[in-house]
Amino acid sequence: MASLPKRIIKETERLVSDPVPGITAQPHEDNLRYFQVTIEGPQQSPYESGVFELELFLPDDYPMEAPKVRFLTKIYHPNIDRLGRICLDVLKTNWSPALQIRTVLLSIQALLASPNPNDPLANDVAEDWIKNEEAAIEKAREWTRLYAKPK
Amino acid sequence: MLSEHTIPSDYDDEGDEFIDFESYYSVEDTDLNGFKDDSDFDITSDMNSDDESGSRISFLISTQDSENLGKKSSLSGSEERGLPKLNYNCLTTDQIYKLMLQRMENLQPIFNIPLEDMIILLQRYGWSEERLLEQWTEDMEKVLVASGLRTAKHDKIKRGIKLHPNFMCHICCESGEKETFSLECAHEYCLDCYKHYIQDKLPDGKIITCMNCDLALRNEDIDKIMGDNSSAKLMLSSIKGFIQKHSNHYKWCPFVDCNYVIQVGNISSLSEFPRFHISPYVICDNKHKFCFQCGLESHAPGDCQVADVWVKTAQAESANLNWVLKNTKECPKCGVNIEKNGGCNHMTCKSCAYEFCWICEGCWKDHGGSYYECTRFKKEDKNDNVESKGSLRKYTFYYRLFSEHENSAKLDWNLGQTVEQKVRALQENVGISWIESQFLPESIRALIEGRTTLKWSFPVAFYSDPSHNLTKIFVDNQFLLVNAVEDLSQLLQIKEPKKIMEKKLDFYNKARFVKSRENALIECGRDLLCKGICIPQK
Repeated sequence: MASLPKRIIKETERLVSDPVPGITAQPHEDNLRYFQVTIEGPQQSPYESGVFELELFLPDDYPMEAPKVRFLTKIYHPNIDRLGRICLDVLKTNWSPALQIRTVLLSIQALLASPNPNDPLANDVAEDWIKNEEAAIEKAREWTRLYAKPK
Repeated sequence: MLSEHTIPSDYDDEGDEFIDFESYYSVEDTDLNGFKDDSDFDITSDMNSDDESGSRISFLISTQDSENLGKKSSLSGSEERGLPKLNYNCLTTDQIYKLMLQRMENLQPIFNIPLEDMIILLQRYGWSEERLLEQWTEDMEKVLVASGLRTAKHDKIKRGIKLHPNFMCHICCESGEKETFSLECAHEYCLDCYKHYIQDKLPDGKIITCMNCDLALRNEDIDKIMGDNSSAKLMLSSIKGFIQKHSNHYKWCPFVDCNYVIQVGNISSLSEFPRFHISPYVICDNKHKFCFQCGLESHAPGDCQVADVWVKTAQAESANLNWVLKNTKECPKCGVNIEKNGGCNHMTCKSCAYEFCWICEGCWKDHGGSYYECTRFKKEDKNDNVESKGSLRKYTFYYRLFSEHENSAKLDWNLGQTVEQKVRALQENVGISWIESQFLPESIRALIEGRTTLKWSFPVAFYSDPSHNLTKIFVDNQFLLVNAVEDLSQLLQIKEPKKIMEKKLDFYNKARFVKSRENALIECGRDLLCKGICIPQK
């Protein structure tokens, strides 16, 4: 792991020493580019009091290339599909090397707080969301209770 | 060229036409000495036995067309026959770039900004001058900010490379004595990071911005950072955008490794071609012939529709392309194939930046809240599984012939590569001049073109009504061209330079014969199309 870029070391250090509230990110001991991430569901959202597990991987070309992030915990959200893939601009076209792991994770947390069913990834979920928002929110709450239990 | 040819201007008239069968079999009045002695070559058949040397190709049409019968012209003069003609130039990428610069220089007085900035503006607007002008007149300042030519706040920092004795770059987190670069926005990063960043962005052909904001790097900045003229690479990628935008006027030569661009002057005449069931063929400076309409290689005697339907059917048959059909969609705007390998249904075409919905292929903007109409969108192509086995077998048969000739053409192409060596051998061993040895490359060109025509004649035959007399004539014509092509191909196998020279006349005659058979087949195929006997359908 001697070849780990300074940028990644610095970011990792800062994630540990100055963690973002409600977010943890731990590099894997065998692969320092692979992070185990948890994000707490934002308050006043259907995901409140849930703890969601994610995986984050920094590709070779990071920071020129965006990190790859995926939900491991099942979640009912219009912009996250059943494989945990996330539809978020900063992970794709709007990535810039000036962004960081923490800013990406914050963006994901913000996505939980404000689902955007008009730019959906999971079509069925998004459809439910539009047709009957209350029922969809209730279902998201239920899934949070069922799958996103704090450990 | 002694042949006479009569074509009524109103061609697609389906009257009770009397077809002069002999016409399709007759050959140009070539010097027949060359193949008279060739016993296995037989162009005679029951129908044209007495008209072999007589060289009239004529169509006699029913009396209602008689007023058009007066028009006579030679086979080669397409204008005189009332057929549309395409005016075009073949350009190199350098010439295209010069053209782009010229257009920018013409626009510059309106904008009154440096040429460098014009490049950025046009890149931002995908080389659509109209759209840029429109928005420019609406809100100049907004266009400048959106294109990254102005910072929102006016910092008084000069852009450029600086040297810092102790600098910590926020991208790589390395510190020490470093050269850095920043724009007026003061987002300063080390030169190594900038180099890496620019290198990754060059192939996109889009504006390269500051790593932390929307301010744009000019070409001179890019070259300063990279230490070479990398901006040329960006501009080359950008040319692709320009041609994409103006694809009505410009097309890349589709042949592998050919970088020529064809520019057509009179694009309005393009719409004339389908009516006559001919295609607007262009030839680039590498002598690659392709269809400006559909971008395929020369597909005569079939027209673009035959080629399109045939290619699509062929694609549906092959497992690989089946996958493409299943997993990709053509961008509704520019037609580029797009694979959706993740992400949401809000698609942005990489090549033309068109935003559309994956499900209904409609414009994303119009979508708004009514997105959910899309899940109700139904595909209609589910019930065509009743294709009979017979037609599939027929298709497979024709497809096999098609691909066999395609392979032969490829082999001939390889043969063509060795011809150059033969020409050199001729010059050295037999001592003849370069110009005298040109019959060899000319023969190989005739051979490849003949094969291509032959190849594309199978789709035409496949879609034609087999019971019609004209179809039978067409098939006979195919047969004759096959013989002519194979003959020429055999001749080109000769290796010894001396023998090649002895057979020089043979080369000439056989190549000319292929050409004339090819023309006869093309005319016959066009007739099938014009008379509605050949109807391409899936």
